[in-house]
Amino acid sequence: VEPDDNRMEASCLELALEGERLCKLGDYGGGVSFFEAAIQVGTEDLQVLSAVYSQLGNAYFHLHDYTKALEFHHHDLTLTRTIGDELGEAKASGNLGNTLKAMGRFDEAVVCCQRHLDIAQVLNDKVGQARALYNFGNVYHAKGKSVCWSGADPGDFPEEVMTALTRAADYYNENLAIVKELGDRAAQGRTHGNLGNTYYLLGNFRRAVASHEQRLLIAKEFGDRAAQRRAYCNLGNAFIFLGEFEVAAEHYKKALQLARQLKDRAVEAQACYSLGNTYTLLHDYERAIDYHLKHLIIAQDLNDRIGEGRACWSLGNAHTALGNHDQAMHFAEKHLEISKETGDRGGELTARMNVSDLQMVLGLSYSTNNSVLSENKEIDYNRAGARPRMSRRHSMENLDLMKLTPDKTNGQK
Amino acid sequence: KPQEEDHQSTAVPSSQMLHSDAIEMEPETMETKSLTDYFSKMHMDTVTPTCQRQRK
Repeated sequence: VEPDDNRMEASCLELALEGERLCKLGDYGGGVSFFEAAIQVGTEDLQVLSAVYSQLGNAYFHLHDYTKALEFHHHDLTLTRTIGDELGEAKASGNLGNTLKAMGRFDEAVVCCQRHLDIAQVLNDKVGQARALYNFGNVYHAKGKSVCWSGADPGDFPEEVMTALTRAADYYNENLAIVKELGDRAAQGRTHGNLGNTYYLLGNFRRAVASHEQRLLIAKEFGDRAAQRRAYCNLGNAFIFLGEFEVAAEHYKKALQLARQLKDRAVEAQACYSLGNTYTLLHDYERAIDYHLKHLIIAQDLNDRIGEGRACWSLGNAHTALGNHDQAMHFAEKHLEISKETGDRGGELTARMNVSDLQMVLGLSYSTNNSVLSENKEIDYNRAGARPRMSRRHSMENLDLMKLTPDKTNGQK
Repeated sequence: KPQEEDHQSTAVPSSQMLHSDAIEMEPETMETKSLTDYFSKMHMDTVTPTCQRQRK
């Protein structure tokens, strides 16, 4: 080895090690700079190069730059195949699969997951098999969720969606068998969480609760407050569909408490929103308003216009339920303004109808705003005449899910 | 009675109000290739046989 080569190797390695250190600290942007510099210098050691490609791909993945992540995981795959490093190839395939999943390229992701699984089986690598099965479950879960199902409730999705979700559940269960055998509690926790979400979407709410309870237990074992918060939130969602609103509220409150401890404003807002909806279902509109206002304030702080629009819509509904028509009008107008701004066509139509209904109640004439009427006619809601439609805004208490719940629960295994 | 018709209202679907992007997924597991591990393994590979030889 020439002296220059030695210096080059040392420099590449030093840069890569610094990149690795920064990524471990969560500084992926810094990590990317050092790894790219390391590649610029170059190395003769192909194992080092593979590790750099792989970590660079992961850093871009964490930065949500999936195009770049794909590029480097693909380089890693090609390299590991060239040098016949099977374990390395399995890992590259797994990472490539996760990246393709994030990009919505599910069919290609499945091929990568299968390659990851095949190699792990050949090498009799149980840990690798389990990880491949978890990735498989995630791909099918995401595939199921990606299909547009506007308006449908969990369990009522098109067959294509239900098939993908069922496959996801199968893969998660296969994974669970292995990670239980291995005694890997952290992996069990993750799988229970995603399995719970899959059962939830399949409309199997009892099983969803059982899975999320397992997830919660493991999160507590590890003192993982973020995972506990996720579990409480997911449990709340499942109890809503079981019609157990009080229990749901208790879980959402725990999620809220943890969100505050973790100082995560976005998830705090989500918990407030869920609590607002739950108290609406319980017909406790004062509390619902309280939580929706909390949600609104955070949404405004975070500049989340979509969240703000939802909060205004919910606040308008709750004030209408209480007969506070002036307040209701204020929020309905705000909802209209925001949904126009965000291009939310459905929200805009709902807001227009709410505004016109409230105008009637408040004694204003329809003729003052002809555009509202003509817009309404464009979309046929099968509504004849211009009578007040106040109870439309009570829609939360008329939720379909309340009527569906008993059938759904009876239908479960 | 106006209430009757409104019970069938689909203007505000329940799914939109309650569970739009509400479920929370667990994080993905990415496979890692660590340089630190690679070099400590290489180091161990060169050290271990010597130690074993010494013990014999």
